[in-house]
Amino acid sequence: MSSTATRKAASRPQDARRGAPAFRLRFGLIVIAMVLSFFGARLVQLQGIDPNSYAEMAAAESVETRILPAERGDILDRNGLPLADSVRGKMVVADPVMTADDAPELATLLSQRLDVDYFEALARLREGGSQFEYIARRVPSTIATDLVAELAEAGYEGITLRDDPIRSYPADDVGANLLGFIGTDEPLYGFERTFDRQLSGTDGTARFTVGGGNRIPLGENTLVPPKNGAPLTTTVDMDLQWFTQRVLAQTLQQYKALSGVAIVMDSRTGEVMALADAPTFDANKALESEKDDLGSRAISDAYEPGSVEKVLTAAALIDAGKVTPRTKLRIPPSLPRQDRVIGDWFDHGNIKLTMAGVIAKSSNIGTVLAADAFTPLELVGYLQKFGLGQRTDMGLPGESAGILTPGDVMTSQTKDRVAFGQSVSVNAVQMAAAVNTIANGGVRISPSIIKGSATTEDGTVVGTDVATETRVVSEQAARQTARMMERVVDPEAGVAPGAQVPGYLVAGKTGTAQRVSPTCGCYDGSTTVSFGGFAPADDPRFTVYVVVHKPQVDGGGGSIAGPAFSRIMGYALSRYRVPPTDGKPSRLPVEW
Amino acid sequence: MSSPAVQIRSRGSRVASAAVEKARLSVVPRARTRAPKVPFVTLVSLLLVGGVVGLVLFNTSMQQASFAATSLEEQATNLAAREQTLQMELEDLRNPQRVAAEAQAMGMVVPRAPTFLGLDGRVLGEKMPALPEDTLNLTPAPPIKPKILAPTPTIVKVMAEPAPAGKKKKAQGTQGRKRR
Repeated sequence: MSSTATRKAASRPQDARRGAPAFRLRFGLIVIAMVLSFFGARLVQLQGIDPNSYAEMAAAESVETRILPAERGDILDRNGLPLADSVRGKMVVADPVMTADDAPELATLLSQRLDVDYFEALARLREGGSQFEYIARRVPSTIATDLVAELAEAGYEGITLRDDPIRSYPADDVGANLLGFIGTDEPLYGFERTFDRQLSGTDGTARFTVGGGNRIPLGENTLVPPKNGAPLTTTVDMDLQWFTQRVLAQTLQQYKALSGVAIVMDSRTGEVMALADAPTFDANKALESEKDDLGSRAISDAYEPGSVEKVLTAAALIDAGKVTPRTKLRIPPSLPRQDRVIGDWFDHGNIKLTMAGVIAKSSNIGTVLAADAFTPLELVGYLQKFGLGQRTDMGLPGESAGILTPGDVMTSQTKDRVAFGQSVSVNAVQMAAAVNTIANGGVRISPSIIKGSATTEDGTVVGTDVATETRVVSEQAARQTARMMERVVDPEAGVAPGAQVPGYLVAGKTGTAQRVSPTCGCYDGSTTVSFGGFAPADDPRFTVYVVVHKPQVDGGGGSIAGPAFSRIMGYALSRYRVPPTDGKPSRLPVEW
Repeated sequence: MSSPAVQIRSRGSRVASAAVEKARLSVVPRARTRAPKVPFVTLVSLLLVGGVVGLVLFNTSMQQASFAATSLEEQATNLAAREQTLQMELEDLRNPQRVAAEAQAMGMVVPRAPTFLGLDGRVLGEKMPALPEDTLNLTPAPPIKPKILAPTPTIVKVMAEPAPAGKKKKAQGTQGRKRR
């Protein structure tokens, strides 16, 4: 007891200071204030100065943001079969920081599994100062995930996958010139480019907290679903398109021609059911083809149509009451006009042809004589109504409007030549639509290749919904012109028996025109041969137009384009089960 | 206790004093109700334990669901990829080029024009034999390659005669090409 007392007594002066409540309180307050002010300063630093970067750092630890790619809309044919479709794909990405050490082994594996070059892959896996290198793009999802699983099993790191949708064209070159293709990152050419806004859709995002590869249920979880692109339905028939392309390619090969176009059109609706361009390309390997072959020549190439145009002149003349199919014309061996002499493709003396004979034999002189009843203004007026000189605006990019001199500035010499298809240029679709006007009883339907409607990149609405009909010539004039055109494929009266489809009434017209060389701007001696027509002639279902540019083997529209026309037409009639009609073949006299 | 009040009281009647004695205030003893503690404690601890266990179970089941969702999602992705692969295969099989090649290998030919057999036995159309000449060439010319993939071959013509003395071979070679 006494010892504690003495100890207490000894420590009393110190205790007095420590024990003073006021001092203790003040000291504690200062300590607390200091600690709190540290907290406060830190709070201001975190929340006030740069809150986002800290939030991001925190999120980077566990929150994952994933882009959900929108699926690109399919391009379908008229029966709903895909001409272009999208497949889930992956891009294989390497992080060289992690892969540099195992580069040779990885490159070996990658070059074996994916279609990549070993040395290229090796260089990318070792790329200094980079953490992101593409190894392969557009790898089918199944192959890519298998590969990554294999790599993970072997213990390699640094190879990851990201979404990278693949555009695939199941029928390779079928309709390639219409469809266009997807380049490395953007759509190029054709529908892919024109209707990109509709096809591409909008990507979505998903943000969620991840722990050990699984989503944490109560963590952050936001989802913006992707808006997939809308499909584009065309009026093209895949099988017919394929057949048309093969027939055209065969014709080109056989006659060693430079290029060609073949169009199949539904006579009643103006829908383009096949539009073949040759040479074409494989849409799945577009970059391995010549750039000039990637667009559609049917739309972008303007050329002189030649004698096919005569049916437009003839229909216009009949409509205006200037001639009938039986109008008698005396055809001299040659016809001197102001600046030059007009001749025929065949040598003849003075012959007597009817208007039907002029069409059947394709006489330039006869057409010019008949067209003398027209002023340039009248002729051009009709041709404009047939759609010449104006873009068809079907939805294919790069269209050329062709050249048709306005009637008020056209000289009579030019008019003479325009009457038989020279000094006027057209694109193939324009011409097919013009011939189709005769097939459709004198009413021109604006051609369309999109079913329903779609908006192009420049905001034009195109498609069957907005197709317009305009009467160009009377129904009777169209019928009579068709009757005259039937004589063209007659083995005795006409020049193109090869265009006949056995068992059917076929109306058509040949064309052989001199080509204007793009280099000199003059006729270079080469020709453009063509055949346009429809069947069955008395109740037309299809209009087919075949154009072959610069054949190297001697021949005209009847012998080169005619047989191709016949095959394509025969196939179309058979595919759509159009039976032959009971109509009597045309017996219009060709001579008198 | 020698307060004036008591003195005044003592001077009063005995009865009153007795009454006062009776009315004397005293502290009320604290009522000790002995409510049974056990049920309450049990209830509270049950609630506590139940809550904690429930929370843990709930969390576990959420996690479980998350695992299941992840694995199902993966499965769905795999199946979708598989479906697309099959779809691609189907489209390959449906490719008109393939169908035609196979038909042609069987000796089939696309006819020049169809013939129709009516229900009344009438034959519409011209009967045409399918001839081997009608066979379509199914292998189109390969697409023309761009210049960069198919450069024009460099042809160097080597002169046959020996080089005359005093002139270098290379110089002569270029001269020879120039002349051509």
